[in-house]
Amino acid sequence: MKSDQLILNNHQSSPADLAKSKKKKMNGRMMAYYLMVIPAALLFFAFHTFPAIQGIYYSFTNWNGINLDYDFVGFKNYINLFKDTAVRDSYLFTFKFAIFAGVLVNIISLAVAIGLNAKIKGRNFFRAVYFLPNILSVLIVGFIFNFVFTSIIPNLGEKYQIEFLTENILGNANLAWIGILIVFIWQSCAFNIILYLSGLQTVPHELYEASSLDGANRWQQFWKITFPVIAPFFTINMVLAMKNALMVFDQIVAMTGGGPGTVTTSISYLIYTGGLAGGEFAFQSANGVIYFIVIMAISVFQLKVLQKREMDM
Amino acid sequence: MKKTVSLLAASVLSISLLAGCGSGDNAGGADNGKVKIEFFHYKREAMDTFDKLIEKFEKENPNIDIEQASPPDAGTVIKTRVSKGDVPDIISIGGDMGYNELSKAGVFTDLSKDKVLEKVQPAYIQMLKDITGQEKIYGVPFAANAVGVIYNKAIFNELGLEVPKTWDEFVALSETIQKAGKVPFYHTYKDAWTLLPSFNALAANTQGADFYEQLNKGKVLAEKRYKEAVEKMVVLSKYGHKNQQGVAYNDGNTAFANGESAMYLQGIWAIPEIIKANPDIELGVFPFPATNNPEEIKVISGVDLLYALSAKSEHPKEAKKFIEFMLQDENAKQYIEEQNAFSALMGIAQDNPTVADLKVMMENGAVTDFPDHYIPTGVYPDKTLQTLAQDKDVDSALEKIQKDWEKVQSRK
Repeated sequence: MKSDQLILNNHQSSPADLAKSKKKKMNGRMMAYYLMVIPAALLFFAFHTFPAIQGIYYSFTNWNGINLDYDFVGFKNYINLFKDTAVRDSYLFTFKFAIFAGVLVNIISLAVAIGLNAKIKGRNFFRAVYFLPNILSVLIVGFIFNFVFTSIIPNLGEKYQIEFLTENILGNANLAWIGILIVFIWQSCAFNIILYLSGLQTVPHELYEASSLDGANRWQQFWKITFPVIAPFFTINMVLAMKNALMVFDQIVAMTGGGPGTVTTSISYLIYTGGLAGGEFAFQSANGVIYFIVIMAISVFQLKVLQKREMDM
Repeated sequence: MKKTVSLLAASVLSISLLAGCGSGDNAGGADNGKVKIEFFHYKREAMDTFDKLIEKFEKENPNIDIEQASPPDAGTVIKTRVSKGDVPDIISIGGDMGYNELSKAGVFTDLSKDKVLEKVQPAYIQMLKDITGQEKIYGVPFAANAVGVIYNKAIFNELGLEVPKTWDEFVALSETIQKAGKVPFYHTYKDAWTLLPSFNALAANTQGADFYEQLNKGKVLAEKRYKEAVEKMVVLSKYGHKNQQGVAYNDGNTAFANGESAMYLQGIWAIPEIIKANPDIELGVFPFPATNNPEEIKVISGVDLLYALSAKSEHPKEAKKFIEFMLQDENAKQYIEEQNAFSALMGIAQDNPTVADLKVMMENGAVTDFPDHYIPTGVYPDKTLQTLAQDKDVDSALEKIQKDWEKVQSRK
């Protein structure tokens, strides 16, 4: 709203008659712009902001999700949150997962994108193949990989006498998270590759030519030219990959159900199961509020740090 | 001014469009003279049976239209629906903590004085009372389940084995099977809940008679009283197969059906699935030999399915009519035959020979409820047991169940 007023004010300062006709035109156009943005904003408010505010409201009550009445309990849920080991464990797991996922997704995506950007044969075919996972449903991919880990890999292990493959890693408390990580990376790379590809296409060819005249090798070209030029893409990819990993949910539903025990219970999975099936709606709402703040803080921090790095390069 | 109006109009329009998708199908009102009743249940295995019974009912009552709904993860779905005020007319769930919570939330009609309860065996009515800790009854118990040890008769004959009566015999038998190079139990530890049937059988027989009495006084005795059950769980976990941490329930049913293990620790609800996977299997069920005192061992049996009426149903008469229809001998019999369950009603026997041993005990009244029906939903004993099966650390499992239980109680 503020910026709109600013624009209007600017026009008032120009010569009067000109301003009038311009204003009329402007308002007509503004109307169209408003029509473009308002429906989406309303939808966003109705289905996102409003429930979020409701969640904050419930986080100060003791509602179990189904009772007709509830009381206000102040900050009790928030205090219990910091005492609860299940909540602490889910944060530890989620952060470990997000750090590994964020770093690996970016390394792999960038490597694949460089390959797909080169003049290889069947380039468009490979691009299509690498983009494919992005259009598949996460849940279905999860179920398919669940089957692969449960049946196909152990059977192969038995057949070829490879000891470490004969066990389902999703059932192993120490390794289950790696199974989820593999599926997560496989699927989220697709989108990050596309972003990196578009970034790589912005690198001017002349820079490579000039640098090769100066005797720079491929490795130097990558670090001194490619990487600095695509720095903004690195920033957005890092933030997106981290954020998605912090919110990991579907893969866990499909593959481990948070188990074995609770070792792969991510924060969002804990909020869902504890809040709905576990009858702790208000408590998990409080968890959701904290979780929202944490993700926002991490994203802002990443943007700040990485954007500063973009400047330095 | 004009612009603001049209702007408002645009926004109102877009909102009303949205509102349009929300309402409409859940009203359950009468269209073309028929009364629509929504029948929500959590028994996906029984959908075919219900389809047949509903068809029969609708023929007898052409003005009533029964709509069956059985989504996956029904326990969660029903809670979300209740929390937004959209309650189905008839709700069919098990007699467990979910029933307790929904009853206390005032979702169901009080049926305590209703004559539909006259047909029900008193033991199952008592179970519902125990679960809620109230005298009021909010559901009609219809079917009962039971936990035993499902065994492959062909393998038992081949190895010359006999059905064990005591815990020691049970362990010795497992040892023999393992020495013969066969798998005693096909554990399915990837699905945490599949640890609960054995745990229930062990805990119910070892936790002590006054466990629930103490619980109602606010005393949680899990750490001390579950010790024996948890220790025995560890023993059972040693007689499994190599990949037992990584196999889930459905795969377990198929594997047992194909003779990959001699025994299978599940409730009788798994039997239809096993027979579906291998119609030729010769199987039997023996009572879980939880202790060394065969006279005192009880079969674990709980209310597997009950019919509850929504307190806010717009057509309570029609809904009730359907429940009464389901309780008729012929229809109740059809259900237990097709689902291999026991009836909670009087005078309806399960004649399937596979569960004959259990039937004898159930008729003698040697029955007790599932202990996990009394554990608050936020405790998740199944997950703790899943960890136990891998780590075999009895003390930390007991401590975790105790602490989680106290934690959940203190937050209420």
